[in-house]
Amino acid sequence: MARSKSLPTAARFYLVLMGLFLVGPFVPLVIQSFAFQWDWPNLLPSEWWFTARDRARLPLGWDYVLSPYSRLGEAVVNTVVIGGATTLICLAICLSAARVLAREQFAGKRAVEFYLSLPLIVPEAAVGLALSVIFVRVGLAGSYAGIIIAHLIPTIPYMVRLLTAVYQGLDPGFEEQARVLGANRLQALRLVTMPMLLPGILAGCLFTFLVSTNLFLLTFLLGQGKIITVPTLLFAKIAGGSLDASAAGIALVATLPGIALLLVSERLLDGRIGMVAR
Amino acid sequence: MLLRRHFLFVASLLASTTAVMADEAAAGFRAQFLAGNLSWDDVLTQARSEGAVQFFYWGGDDNLNVWMDSVVAPAMAALGVTLVANRITATKDAVDLVIADAAAGRTIGDGSVDAIWLNGENFYTLKQQDLLFGSFARALPNAVNFEWEAADARSQLNLRDFGTLTDGAEVPWSGEQYVCAANRAQLPVAQTPHTFEDLRAYLEANPGKFAYIKPPHYLGNTFVQQVLYAFNPDGTGAEPFQQAIADLGAAELARLVAPGFAYLKQIEPLLLGGPQGAVRYPEDAAAAEGLFRNSEIHINCGFGLYAVATKRANGSYPQTAEEIIFPAGNMIKNKNYLAIPANAPNPAAALVLANYMSSVDAQVTKLDLVGYPAGIDPWTLELADAAALAAAAPAHFGVTQDELDANIAPDTNASLVDVIEATWLEYIERGSRLPLEEIVANAVAKLAP
Repeated sequence: MARSKSLPTAARFYLVLMGLFLVGPFVPLVIQSFAFQWDWPNLLPSEWWFTARDRARLPLGWDYVLSPYSRLGEAVVNTVVIGGATTLICLAICLSAARVLAREQFAGKRAVEFYLSLPLIVPEAAVGLALSVIFVRVGLAGSYAGIIIAHLIPTIPYMVRLLTAVYQGLDPGFEEQARVLGANRLQALRLVTMPMLLPGILAGCLFTFLVSTNLFLLTFLLGQGKIITVPTLLFAKIAGGSLDASAAGIALVATLPGIALLLVSERLLDGRIGMVAR
Repeated sequence: MLLRRHFLFVASLLASTTAVMADEAAAGFRAQFLAGNLSWDDVLTQARSEGAVQFFYWGGDDNLNVWMDSVVAPAMAALGVTLVANRITATKDAVDLVIADAAAGRTIGDGSVDAIWLNGENFYTLKQQDLLFGSFARALPNAVNFEWEAADARSQLNLRDFGTLTDGAEVPWSGEQYVCAANRAQLPVAQTPHTFEDLRAYLEANPGKFAYIKPPHYLGNTFVQQVLYAFNPDGTGAEPFQQAIADLGAAELARLVAPGFAYLKQIEPLLLGGPQGAVRYPEDAAAAEGLFRNSEIHINCGFGLYAVATKRANGSYPQTAEEIIFPAGNMIKNKNYLAIPANAPNPAAALVLANYMSSVDAQVTKLDLVGYPAGIDPWTLELADAAALAAAAPAHFGVTQDELDANIAPDTNASLVDVIEATWLEYIERGSRLPLEEIVANAVAKLAP
């Protein structure tokens, strides 16, 4: 298929517009991260970071961001570990919950569904403040376990809804067919159900991971300032000072886990969907 | 603010239901130390056995972070204590943490905060709630680096924090002074305002080219206090504002602040956005700095005796920025401190940290690398140490240290700060038509405990 040739002019125009819309906000951020002094009315920095760094006595701009003093490495590791753990636990909880919600009928099902989406309605601050008081008492405050538990609260509703929809779209007949043809339960799960669920699971995991890595308030309240993640580091940086070169650098690094994951999952999903379609 | 109130409310709900947890060893150490039964070697030994110190400080300054990790951490490690430097977004977060721990029944040896960098209302909050370790400052070996003699007026900054008696429950760490910077690209030396009347004249010629940060931000409060000092109808400046509201009385306060508030009302149409009919007060220092950098305002004020040098060096101020003497005779000077909470998990290590921070070495490197003025008092030091401190000081631009020293004024009493802030919000921001006496009286009544 020669897709690129058949695109009408209007569609190309919108594609370019969309591209600009997505990339646009990054442009000033990238420039700022390399700027030493960038003030109105100059369209570009009047002095760049690399000409000023020689006379600076302390690390400046990217030198600071990439030095151990910025603690960015620690924050990235924390963010990824917390996001990864949250995603796996969330998946384990939601996979079975979604199967029941999609396939079974029982009294109070509507109520359970509503209950599961409550965290989307209750403000993060209300949950965080109450949790932090409870966690201080039980000794979970300022621990990884406490933060991961807290991150499950806003991520479970998304994951459950997504997986429920995926299960609903999966005809139980496929599994039955596999069993009739001689597959045991495990084989049916491994060879039939899982491959068909996988695109949905990957999408759910991606979403959960991105939500978790962007949570500021819950992490901040329950981490007690002891556990830093990229969002808390960025907030500490821009809350007191302006968006200077090092803040812009940290902001750019903050987008990396998301972009990396999007690229990886894009490849995985492409392959999987192709396989299922075959 | 709202968030914090909710938090404290939830915390206090749980307070009454929780059993008290205490660490016997830490409690014993505290009692012995405060009674003066321990030598400094005993403290060092105890600190080594505690192993770590949880220090909480505002982490928004790259230079400070570098200094903390590259100078303080190795120095503490040499004393056998691991510095856990928790960088926080706002000081009150650490104060809230202390309160939440206390509400959960965590006392000495059992909390999560060993030391906090703070001053003003955050210290006042901890003191009011009786959440401070106790009087330790004068028991530190480096206490000799401070002026404690009450007869010497210069000791006031060590004895009082925004009018609240420090009682040795916090030790001075840095000094600060409210200094304004002018961009010489727009504001020639000859037109530099030195008094508030000068400022009005400048703004009449250049409308909209000044802004002060909006109270209740402490920088906005400070600007308002300086106006009130300058327009004090008795001509006694900051003096009456050192008293607590209970001693001063609402009627007297209203009389003292009336001319100052009249001035603030008068210049409002000349401030940023005023000529366009929508006056704009920047929300915080970052916003004001952005306005200054982009030439929307010609003068930017804030705490930072060496801020112009630091900001010129890191690109956040134009190279044409210079310091000015404004408001003459009323540049508020204060100190900020290190406090140890009552539920410090490692109280001995916290004392060792406080003592190190009060050393000449720490103060000289901090001044040199971070540009924070010394918290110790140079006249109490050996000549060589005082000279090292003086040599480490960053440069001034356009003014001299002597001129800056000659124009200082003290902070306003912490109990008046809230009343003045509430009056500003009612009189200036909401444009209330009530007489000023009534606004002040209402604010006093509302804030009464």
